Amino acid sequence: MAEDKEKKAKFCINDHIDILVEILKRLDGPSLGVAACVCRLWCSVTRNDSLWEHLCFRHVSSPPPSSVRPVVVALGGYRRLYMVCVRPVLSRLRLGGGDSDLVRRVWTRDEVQLSLSLFCVDYYERLDGRLGEASASSLMFLCKPVNV
Amino acid sequence: MAPPRYDSAISAASCSGSSSSSSSSCAAGKLTPPQEIDGLLADAGYKVRSSDLRQVAQRLERLETVMVNAPSEISQLATDAVHYNPSDIASWVDSLLSELSQPPLPLPSDLSDFSDLNYVDSLVGPAINPTVVNNEWTDLHAPQQQQTVPQLLTVVTAMEEDSGIRLVHMLMTCAEAVQRGDFPLAGSLIDEMQGLLTRVNTGCGIGKVAKHFIEALRRRVFTPQGLCSAAGGGAGSTNEYEFLYHHFYEACPYLKFAHFTANQAILEAFDGHDCVHVIDFNLMHGLQWPALIQALALRPGGPPLLRLTGIGPPSSDGRDSLREIGLRLNELARSVNVQFAFRGVAASRLEDVKPWMLQVSPKEAVAVNSIMQLHRLLGAPPSRNSPIEVVLAWIRSLNPKIVTVVEQEANHNQPEFLNRFTESLYYYSTMFDSLEACPLQPEKAVAEVYIQKEICNILCCEGAARLERHEPLAKWRTRLGEAGFRPLHLGSNAFKQASMLLTLFSAAGYCVEENEGCLTLGWHSRPLIAASAWEALPLPPLPDGSDPIRIINQNVL
Repeated sequence: MAEDKEKKAKFCINDHIDILVEILKRLDGPSLGVAACVCRLWCSVTRNDSLWEHLCFRHVSSPPPSSVRPVVVALGGYRRLYMVCVRPVLSRLRLGGGDSDLVRRVWTRDEVQLSLSLFCVDYYERLDGRLGEASASSLMFLCKPVNV
Repeated sequence: MAPPRYDSAISAASCSGSSSSSSSSCAAGKLTPPQEIDGLLADAGYKVRSSDLRQVAQRLERLETVMVNAPSEISQLATDAVHYNPSDIASWVDSLLSELSQPPLPLPSDLSDFSDLNYVDSLVGPAINPTVVNNEWTDLHAPQQQQTVPQLLTVVTAMEEDSGIRLVHMLMTCAEAVQRGDFPLAGSLIDEMQGLLTRVNTGCGIGKVAKHFIEALRRRVFTPQGLCSAAGGGAGSTNEYEFLYHHFYEACPYLKFAHFTANQAILEAFDGHDCVHVIDFNLMHGLQWPALIQALALRPGGPPLLRLTGIGPPSSDGRDSLREIGLRLNELARSVNVQFAFRGVAASRLEDVKPWMLQVSPKEAVAVNSIMQLHRLLGAPPSRNSPIEVVLAWIRSLNPKIVTVVEQEANHNQPEFLNRFTESLYYYSTMFDSLEACPLQPEKAVAEVYIQKEICNILCCEGAARLERHEPLAKWRTRLGEAGFRPLHLGSNAFKQASMLLTLFSAAGYCVEENEGCLTLGWHSRPLIAASAWEALPLPPLPDGSDPIRIINQNVL
């Protein structure tokens, strides 16, 4: 017992990355971003794409099929998917629905599919410099809300 | 020239009432300025004579002022007052005013002489009955009095609205003059309108629409026909057209709606097939296809072998832009492990494409995708070998699993200029309205140039140069039905996806509607673009038992 107390007193979360990851898995996007600013270790941990995969599909009613992961990775990864598509789509669709408890909202399969399609268009537009001046602007309409 | 037949112009196939009632307002088409009912207000259900507009507006203002200042007297209106039919605004307002013990203003002399611009400056009204309560009103409308500063804001707004209404009426009169061939009158009207434009805000609303239509009229009247460069026509303008198209794609959801809806239908049609071939009638930057490639990559059972044949105009600067787009799509497909093959067919006109160029194999499922291309084939008079008949015949000969057709929901192919003018005025007013909400610059400004080119093509070009020959969905239904196609209902998935896509566009005015299995996207209940899906009816075998598809292929070679 005394040994445990001694160990607890010297507990440092950075020695237990798996626990850190478990905790980070439960955060939302902005908090993950904040966590990335804590130190280099946390920065590299939060850049782990599986964390963002978890975040993207945390609230999907049924888990996505296994074929999704290679596609998302090929198109830029889950972190980019979240930043570029999932977060704006969710927030914009929430505004339409008027839900107050935003984070707990469950995705539907259609919303996931639409996000993936938009993500693919984004990847395609970035593929070439000729469209460069308008690169990723396909999704700019997601990021610039307008007061109507 | 015989007076125009407006009743024939009111297309029964028009999907919403608004566009047809506009034609009914220009019933007479005579030389004198019209005394008939104002078309714009008629759409809202109110009948007002065009010449009375200003007076009615003044009386409405007066009514509002009186009601605001004497609230206690209004309750009687609800109980024992007799009100005329409110659709006849002039007498309705008069009856209310008389209920509130205010005599109606006598109608001034006829102010419908459009060459007289001075009335805008003076806003001189008739003599007011001294029992008018409100001093502000008296100040505003006492004869020969300058507008005082406190009322300046109201005056400016009234003047702008006035100018806006006048602009619309002048546009209609000018269009009538053009139709009659009276170019001197049209020219002078154009000059006047350009002067009037300085008094309105051309950044939005009616000023912006008027600006574009005045420009189109100016080109029609002052520019010789030989300079008519169609939107997308001409060798040097391919890149320019792609640039405009791309910005139109970004600025508003119409093209995205078209792409996503067509993709959904194609995806469902390809279910269960391992070899699929998509023929795109207008590849542009290929923005439609990444989403389809991704959806095929993720479909249960794995992706099929996908072939894409992209048709597009030949590049002007020696680059093979079709091939470049193909390479980019190929790279995307490889990233997501979809077997992909691309073929580009360069043709400056769709009717120059022959089916053998597409190299369709019998064992693959074929999808033909036409986003706003079929209307460009309607230039020639209808006959057995008109371009549209030929193209529809060879589409059918390919035995496609699905044909996705997206077209503007408008009636811009009428032979008479004035009808086209009126229809396009309403259509593009709505479209400009929807564009207001776009927050992206420079996409919005460039999208307006794109729209301007369409307007100019509809109004300034004739014959083979006029490519923008939009027809409403009902006409396309008839045409495709006669060519041997059966409609496929776009399912609820397509509808859901379109609705979600629109929610992402933050402007709340867009609406998706279902129309007998087709989807339309519009702004405030005016559909602007319609998406439909078709499959080819099986051809009956010929009496001698030979294969009709083979015969058709030979005929169109």
